[in-house]
Amino acid sequence: MDDLLADFVAETRDMMQAMAGELVAWERTPDDRESLDTIFRFVHTVKGNCGFFDFPRLERLSHAAETALADVRSGNRTVDVRLVDAVLAIIDRIGELTDAIEGGSDLDRGDDEHLIAALEDGAGALRDMAPLLAAETIGTSAPAPTAPQRSIRLPLDLIDRVMSDVSDLVLARNELARTLRLGAPDTGDGTLERLSAIIDSLRDGVTRMRMQRIDTLFGALPRLVRDLAADLGKEVLVDCEGGDVELDRELIEMLRDPLTHIIRNAVDHGIEPPHQRIAAGKHEEGVLKLHARQADNRIHLEITDDGRGIDGERLVAKAVEAGLCTAAEGAAYDRRERQQLIFHPGLSTAAAVTAVSGRGVGMDVVRANIERIGGAIKVCSEPGQGTRFTLALPLTLSIVPSLTVCSGGQMFAIPRGVVEEIVHAGNAALDFARMGDALLANVRGRRMGCLSLADVLGLSAAQAAENAPLVLIRLAGGDLFALAVDRVLDHEDLVIKPVAPAIMQLGLYAGATLLDSGEPVMMLDMASIARTHAMLRDHADRTATAPAADRVQGHRPRTAGLTVLVYTSLAGRRRAIRMDRVMRIERVARTDADCGGARPQIAIDGAILPLAGCETGIAPGDRPLTILRLAADNPAAGEIALAIDAIEDTALLEGPVLPPLGSGQPLLGSAMIGGALCELVDCDALFAAHRPALIGAAR
Amino acid sequence: MSGPVLCVTLAGRSAAIDAAAVHSVVELGALTPVPRAPAHILGLAALRSRTLTVIDSRAALGLAAAPGPLPAGQQAVITDIDGHAYALLVDDVAGVSDLAGEPEPIIGRAGPGWERVARGAGDTAFGPALLIDLPALVAGLPAMAA
Repeated sequence: MDDLLADFVAETRDMMQAMAGELVAWERTPDDRESLDTIFRFVHTVKGNCGFFDFPRLERLSHAAETALADVRSGNRTVDVRLVDAVLAIIDRIGELTDAIEGGSDLDRGDDEHLIAALEDGAGALRDMAPLLAAETIGTSAPAPTAPQRSIRLPLDLIDRVMSDVSDLVLARNELARTLRLGAPDTGDGTLERLSAIIDSLRDGVTRMRMQRIDTLFGALPRLVRDLAADLGKEVLVDCEGGDVELDRELIEMLRDPLTHIIRNAVDHGIEPPHQRIAAGKHEEGVLKLHARQADNRIHLEITDDGRGIDGERLVAKAVEAGLCTAAEGAAYDRRERQQLIFHPGLSTAAAVTAVSGRGVGMDVVRANIERIGGAIKVCSEPGQGTRFTLALPLTLSIVPSLTVCSGGQMFAIPRGVVEEIVHAGNAALDFARMGDALLANVRGRRMGCLSLADVLGLSAAQAAENAPLVLIRLAGGDLFALAVDRVLDHEDLVIKPVAPAIMQLGLYAGATLLDSGEPVMMLDMASIARTHAMLRDHADRTATAPAADRVQGHRPRTAGLTVLVYTSLAGRRRAIRMDRVMRIERVARTDADCGGARPQIAIDGAILPLAGCETGIAPGDRPLTILRLAADNPAAGEIALAIDAIEDTALLEGPVLPPLGSGQPLLGSAMIGGALCELVDCDALFAAHRPALIGAAR
Repeated sequence: MSGPVLCVTLAGRSAAIDAAAVHSVVELGALTPVPRAPAHILGLAALRSRTLTVIDSRAALGLAAAPGPLPAGQQAVITDIDGHAYALLVDDVAGVSDLAGEPEPIIGRAGPGWERVARGAGDTAFGPALLIDLPALVAGLPAMAA
């Protein structure tokens, strides 16, 4: 393909991409002069460009659309649904033909008459002609799957900057060569420093060349949603925010499929048909919000719909049906766990398989794809209110801030993003317990599974895990576990490259890197290691493995009965609270708690929650305060925070509960737990006392 | 296999490798083992700024691996397969030769390992040799047999 033609294809694609949103905006508000002008300019440009080449079909299509749009512009014609459909169909056809031109297909066969006829004022609606259109081929040999874009446009000043860096690099090299020739290596330090500064700047420049605005990903979405919604008889408004956030090109390509899938799901299963929405007291038009923002070196992408939410009950029923868990286990899952089932292979809540989605292949693949690029995905859903997917993604694939560790005499790297903390051996706040073969670490009251890296890799450790430094790993899903290593070495920025498939398949490594010394070092794939060693709370992996390790992470054992979390209150009382009400366990600075006023409060993650459990006040100190975040039965009632002194364990509540002795405290009574008396906290009473307004409103 | 071949001694036997697939022949330096890797993957080595996956040809053929650390100056044939660089350990490199005639079927039993990686036999300037299929050799033993 000659250069001119390649330019034509690239320009047409660029314009189409930029215009996709305008088309939908125009359909929504046909009076919008700006959208109309953009579309008009597009067909006009295509028509003009066709003059250089011999593409009669493109020329006729663009000419017809231009004529119709010119009539609208001059006020001789009003916009209606038929016209919009016809113009969209023509633009789609232009896109298909452009792909065919790029693929070098023959364009002469094929017929666009129906498309052009549909533009005529008073023509039948294009939708009624669907069978006709289906029969009409675009007249090209099978369209090849669109290859990822191989050419890019860059701002000139960026290229200038990189070029000037390269010139500086040459000068620095010459200077270094001269110094070396003179044999005075002690003067070379300054040059070397300058050289590394230039390389840093170059690296930054080239990284920016690889960056692309996430707009390129968002651009196609309004159209996708419009077509989907029209097929399903729904009305959906797309609201994109943060399109100027920049992301590595490769990442954008790898995000395209998962994002499309999430959006398809949201439109197909999430957002209800208009009549149901009205019946539910919502606006008949559903809203799909996409919000991108950058925080530190990660991109956060939120996809929120205001549809019916995820039906946790049905997911559990499906999981039971599929034999993934027993009915009793399913009944014991809390809301979060139920919703996480959506990521399990083979589960779909769609009542029927539709053309759009619902075959139960999907969210598990989406999660796998997101995790493969070092990201994480979370789902949060309020029944009847909507669903939010949160994606956290790395900025770029190639450079990973890492922690290097030594185990069995060999060096390994761990992505710094998952390292929460390093605990040195002999720390007073650290102790261990064995449950069968599983090792548990207790770090300042937090119990977690503990793996020895040497055991995982089949090496011999220099010392037992109990005497080794621990690297606390916080996985993207929130799971925490400890990894015992022989030595923690250093923080380094490493360039990670994939390694041979036979090594990747082990599920232990994410790639390899070369250190300054030229020595290869393996990067560990912590998520995968955690999965194979049952360090996840994810129930799907739990079923196959010993429950001991994850039980301590806030999980009830798989036995019928109420699981409680046993703790010591700030007043020193031994108490227990229903585990399923505990959403999270947090540690916050004591200064974040305010229990001076009539209503104690605490700031957690930027939110203010009512604070319970501090009736006796909070003793000042440096030690962080342990907070249980509790949820009410009714999720709309929000959360409250319960301040405690320390967590003891989880336990199964057996035996009788003795009624309370009228202490005025929010207690259900007392029970024997672990051979000692324990007071059982009444969650509902806590909520009633600390969120009275909210409870009232929710009921 | 048309065109020249690289004649090497592989696990004590004469073998021929399609020269077009060979990137270079190098002497390997230090090796970084990869814990839990299949037996035929000895580890990783660095060649300039590339990472090589080092394949123990003996283990890949199902033969007992040479014991002990790599001898100094261990020669390896570098090849690219699916974008990854591999270093195949060879005992010796004889040189590059043209193949006399078309590859022929192997006569007699070469042994299961050899039969899996050989695409036939041929005559080279250095004598008769088995023609090695590199991807098959790099893939190592089938998982079932391992």
